[in-house]
Amino acid sequence: MVTVSIEKVWKIYGRIPAVKDLNIECANGSFLSILGPSGCGKSSTMRMIAGLEHISAGEIRFDGRRINDLAPKDRDVAMVFENYALYPHKSVYENMANPLKLRGQAEVRIRERVLAAAKLLEIAELLDRRPQELSGGQKQRVAIGRAIVREPKLFLFDEPIAHLDAKLRAHMRGEIRHLQRTLGTTVIYVTHDQLEAMSMADRIAVMHEGVLQQLATPREVYNKPVNAWVAGFVGEPAMNFLDCTLEETGGQVRFVHPTFRIAVTPEQARLLEASNRAQGIRLGVRPDALTISLAKSKEESMTGRIFVNELLGGDMIVDVDLGPERVRVKTSTDFAGNEGDVCYITANRDKWHAFSKETGRTIF
Amino acid sequence: MASRDIVQYQAPLSRAFGWFSAVFLALYLVWTLLPILVMFISSFKDLLEAFKIPPVGDWAGVTLFFDFTPTFKHYENLFVNLNFSQYMANSLIAAGGSAAISVILGSMAAYSLSRIDFHGKSDLLFWIISTRMAPVVAVMVPLYWIFRELELVGTLPGLILAYTTFNLPFAIWILKGFFDDVPYAIEEAQMVDGATRFQAFLSILPLVGPGIGAVVVLCILFAWNDYLFAAIIGSGGAKTLSVATRELVQPQNIQWGPIMAAGVVTTLPMMLLGLVIRRYLVAGLTMGAVKE
Repeated sequence: MVTVSIEKVWKIYGRIPAVKDLNIECANGSFLSILGPSGCGKSSTMRMIAGLEHISAGEIRFDGRRINDLAPKDRDVAMVFENYALYPHKSVYENMANPLKLRGQAEVRIRERVLAAAKLLEIAELLDRRPQELSGGQKQRVAIGRAIVREPKLFLFDEPIAHLDAKLRAHMRGEIRHLQRTLGTTVIYVTHDQLEAMSMADRIAVMHEGVLQQLATPREVYNKPVNAWVAGFVGEPAMNFLDCTLEETGGQVRFVHPTFRIAVTPEQARLLEASNRAQGIRLGVRPDALTISLAKSKEESMTGRIFVNELLGGDMIVDVDLGPERVRVKTSTDFAGNEGDVCYITANRDKWHAFSKETGRTIF
Repeated sequence: MASRDIVQYQAPLSRAFGWFSAVFLALYLVWTLLPILVMFISSFKDLLEAFKIPPVGDWAGVTLFFDFTPTFKHYENLFVNLNFSQYMANSLIAAGGSAAISVILGSMAAYSLSRIDFHGKSDLLFWIISTRMAPVVAVMVPLYWIFRELELVGTLPGLILAYTTFNLPFAIWILKGFFDDVPYAIEEAQMVDGATRFQAFLSILPLVGPGIGAVVVLCILFAWNDYLFAAIIGSGGAKTLSVATRELVQPQNIQWGPIMAAGVVTTLPMMLLGLVIRRYLVAGLTMGAVKE
């Protein structure tokens, strides 16, 4: 168990900065997820924490102690790799025993620890097998087993379940989360899958192009994204963005778009007022904050034409053309609209967001 | 991974080509295997019997070839009178020693070249292989001079060093290819688990086992079959099988019997080596532990 502090850390490859001035604090015993698309610097960050890459500038501290110059073996971390990285010529038992053997533990104790870990991960009957005789999920468990036998201070997970099939992934999400709760160890978990980050982490660090965008709880990241990029990256299906202008008539502020004019709440009007309105506004609204109907409602609504319906079992996603733009609306499966029909969309005004068109910064 | 079906459909041309290849292969086998057969059988023949040759055109006379009383006297002669056990030991030590040194140094060099990026790496790699580009004869004179100054001429260490100079570049190049195929993650996992880099390097050696096997075979073959180095650098104190065999050809007397026996003695260990190591080379190690 350890508190990890990443302070003003840079990673520069040649002349290309991969991580820029990163500051993250991960509390003792918490589950931090570093989320971002490929190339955002999240893996470099993790590899710097593990000691597999040099830290170009800045400091990483474990419980206040600077670890920049420690070799990986002296950092007391355990890492689970994206491709599992099991030793192909060793059995499952030997794979899991390896970290303890390297630390010169007694054979009896090694046996005890490996068996306990195997039992926890339900792989006790696989101990004599070789990695190539295992399925993807089993390999993943072995890789996690190898990490937990040692009871390290810190777990590093580098997209550990990215290669599993969807069903197994959902299962492993729960297991990893449960495991972390049981062991109480600090976890840093790198992923590009926002669902993994949302469902498992205590806090999420969203990264983009080497820069930390937002460090907050999953709820906060989802409900109060700090900018348009985070808002668009988190959530599935993704948030809809519509470029709008503002119009003030009779004390009412409205978003104006070629296909609609909708008034904002007074509170939102005040926030828009405070921001620099000349920059133009990007309206962001999640598919589940929109309501679609074939009948025109009394509320101000957007008028569009249905492009396509996608049935997703429990609910339905409707793609609607609003002039040249297209928005996605989440609705129930009994929605009766067909492709090409004219439809009306109303927005939940408590759940929509406005971003500055130029900086992408959140206005509300 | 299961091998795929090779889908081929018969056409007149491909059938003709099939026949042609069968005939070609048959001729090729005769061409390559017959001399070995003759050598092997002749080594068990008395000199008089070895030279019983039927007249030209008498194909039935081929049976004459197999009509002899086997004798081990040439082998006896080699090992009892001609000191061949010493030469064989020299050959083994020179070949084995050079192979061992080449594998040890080669794998470390190859690992570094595979894992570490630095300025001029490709130039360095090219330089390493370029040392093999000049024919052996071209470097022999300066090499001899250097070895003589160092008093290495005629010694086994000298011979081992000479072979290593030529084996090491090959070892590095072959092994680098194998190391390139080993995912970084395996040794990174080792290092996070508590290994030093050297321990991590040792831990992935089993994964390049087939490469090491190939290098061992190539190094031993090169040294074992070499004549030029052995004759010049090893002359005198470190006589190897090939040189000793050559010495059986004397101006007054070509000792055909012992030459044939020496040929068998020289060839057989390499054939055995090939058989032993082939299974290992082919089996290889599947990289089941890493998701491709």
